[in-house]
Amino acid sequence: MKVRVKVIGPLIYKTGFSERDLELDAETTVRDLVEQIGIPPERPRIVTRNGKAVLPEDRLADGDTIAVSPIYSGG
Amino acid sequence: MKGWTGNILRVDLSSKTYKKETFSEEFAHKWVGGRGFAVKTLYDELKPGIDPLGPDNKFIVALGPISGIPAPNTGKAVVAAKSPLTGFYGDGNLGTRAVEQLRKAGYDMLIVEGKADRPTMLYIEDDKVEFLPADEIWGKGTFACNDWIYSKYGKGVGVLNIGQGGENLARFAVVRSLEGRAGGRPGIGAVMGSKLLKAIVVKGTRPIPQADPAGMKAAGSADLRQVGVLDKQSGWSIQATTGVLPFCNEVAGLPVRNFRKTHHPLAWQVDGERCNNARVATYGCPTCTMRCGVTVLDKEGHESELDYENVALLGPNLEIFDIPQMASLNYLCDEFGLDTMSAGCTLSFYADAIDQGAVDGDFKFGDAERAKELLRLAAHREGKVGHLLADGTRRMARAFGRGSEAYAMNVKGLEVAAYNCKFIPGQALSYGVAPIGAHHREAWIITFEIKHTTRESYGPEKAAKVIELQRIRGGLFEFIVACRFPWIENGWPLDHYPKYFNLATGLNWGLDDMWQVGDRIYSLIKLHYLREFPGASREDDYPPRVWFDPANADTEGPIAGKHLEIDKYDGLLQHYYDQRGYDRRGIPTMATLRSLGLEDEAADARKYADLTE
Repeated sequence: MKVRVKVIGPLIYKTGFSERDLELDAETTVRDLVEQIGIPPERPRIVTRNGKAVLPEDRLADGDTIAVSPIYSGG
Repeated sequence: MKGWTGNILRVDLSSKTYKKETFSEEFAHKWVGGRGFAVKTLYDELKPGIDPLGPDNKFIVALGPISGIPAPNTGKAVVAAKSPLTGFYGDGNLGTRAVEQLRKAGYDMLIVEGKADRPTMLYIEDDKVEFLPADEIWGKGTFACNDWIYSKYGKGVGVLNIGQGGENLARFAVVRSLEGRAGGRPGIGAVMGSKLLKAIVVKGTRPIPQADPAGMKAAGSADLRQVGVLDKQSGWSIQATTGVLPFCNEVAGLPVRNFRKTHHPLAWQVDGERCNNARVATYGCPTCTMRCGVTVLDKEGHESELDYENVALLGPNLEIFDIPQMASLNYLCDEFGLDTMSAGCTLSFYADAIDQGAVDGDFKFGDAERAKELLRLAAHREGKVGHLLADGTRRMARAFGRGSEAYAMNVKGLEVAAYNCKFIPGQALSYGVAPIGAHHREAWIITFEIKHTTRESYGPEKAAKVIELQRIRGGLFEFIVACRFPWIENGWPLDHYPKYFNLATGLNWGLDDMWQVGDRIYSLIKLHYLREFPGASREDDYPPRVWFDPANADTEGPIAGKHLEIDKYDGLLQHYYDQRGYDRRGIPTMATLRSLGLEDEAADARKYADLTE
């Protein structure tokens, strides 16, 4: 399946990209994706799909747009 | 009494006199400093109903017991007065070397009264105060003013000044520091201007009193290094606050086109990555090891220091997606001494009102060149449009009528910061109940709301989170006084702050003691609001009405068809009041006021309005 991944803030310096379309296995979860793009598991983050948070164990679907962001606190 | 100098410098510009006063240990323990000192002083000393831009108002610079000490991010001052924008207590904080210098001069607070008979610069050096003519810098912008002061005094002094916005009484004029920082969104710079006070220069030569100077030095130095290490690990300050823009865009929380839209396909053009790529310098406050000022060149070649709020409100909110053009607007705000957030909302409201047919005009979204000219007109109050803009969104809407009040983006007169709450109920509550108007400083709960709650929820957990954050952000960090960024962005533990406080004062306070002070401050700001507006109602704590309007709901994207619901918002507000111990108007009950030791203040407030038992 194809998923568009957007990486936000300083996490782009971990992943090396800020937006990319990835070809993923059908069973890929949010946790798998975050690991695959190089973000350390201990790094606090919020992952959203269409503006709503998703859980690490949630499965991705073909055509999803996923955003991975640090936990911002609004300055 | 250790930790505090115990001194207030009171300056009367009318008579060109000054005196050094002392304050009691009870005052210090009850109000600690910063926002606490400021609100207590203004509540006690200002008569209700005075003109905020008249000589009876007082301009305050207030510091705390760890101010100016080399510990993480203690270079912040609170500036306060009765606000000409909102009509009651207003304040803000800014990083400035004036903090350390004022403390070394022997003061925890500066109170400026009266009105000078000509443009004046105050020069404070320890026990000496000089009232110097400021004709050479009156009419000049803050950068030129700083250059002039540099040339006279060198870079070691602390400086606070205003630009043309403050001089011409623009109601959202700020106070600026030599370090390029600004504070006092609710027009505190205009209060300086109303007193013909162009600048304050301060130099101190004495040690700052501390109960355990050796312990503080050891802890402060180590912690400054550690905060820097944490920041390097997180990478936060690479983009600093500008990094939050794409997050807001993704979750449909970005202000676009006067908050009409919540996201935009071109927003990436002004995001943190692009701002950092355009960076030519980095600015920071004194005693900071995670400097947040992303400085770029504007269209005209000036250095312009960006953060998220000004990028969003002077960029996408005006449908400007060009970094140099957006940076030009930001530079002009800094040069004129205008609040970037209120300026962005005021310009966007003007464009929206023209769009909606509420007023005739020639300004359109996306027109950066006209926006620059409008900022100049506002800062100088030139012509009818300049006067209108200089008064901020609420007064503009009252002048325009035709339903424009609904999309004049303010709460209690203070313009909304850069988070679009069209469908973020908890953050809308945060704006609604922020004690001085719609400031983002008091509580920011968007990430919590989206990650840990149902976005649609109006439940008590959101009210509880707002209160938790208010106690920390609007309480602790504003009275102690320090920058919240090490804690909030890089996880520096909060326990460090009672540690610094105790090393400075010799007391043994914990965080619970700090929350009590914060609650006391919030309650007294509420009493000041009630005293100025005896007809205060819960509707004063509602966010801009356009967020409740189904016709304003997004037509596509993550929150298509969604909007805030007024009945549910009112229920969320009630959760907040119940948890705070406030009555149905949002005013602290007598029981709450007694628990906070505010019996005297309550007795005063009762002369003007009823309090609920």
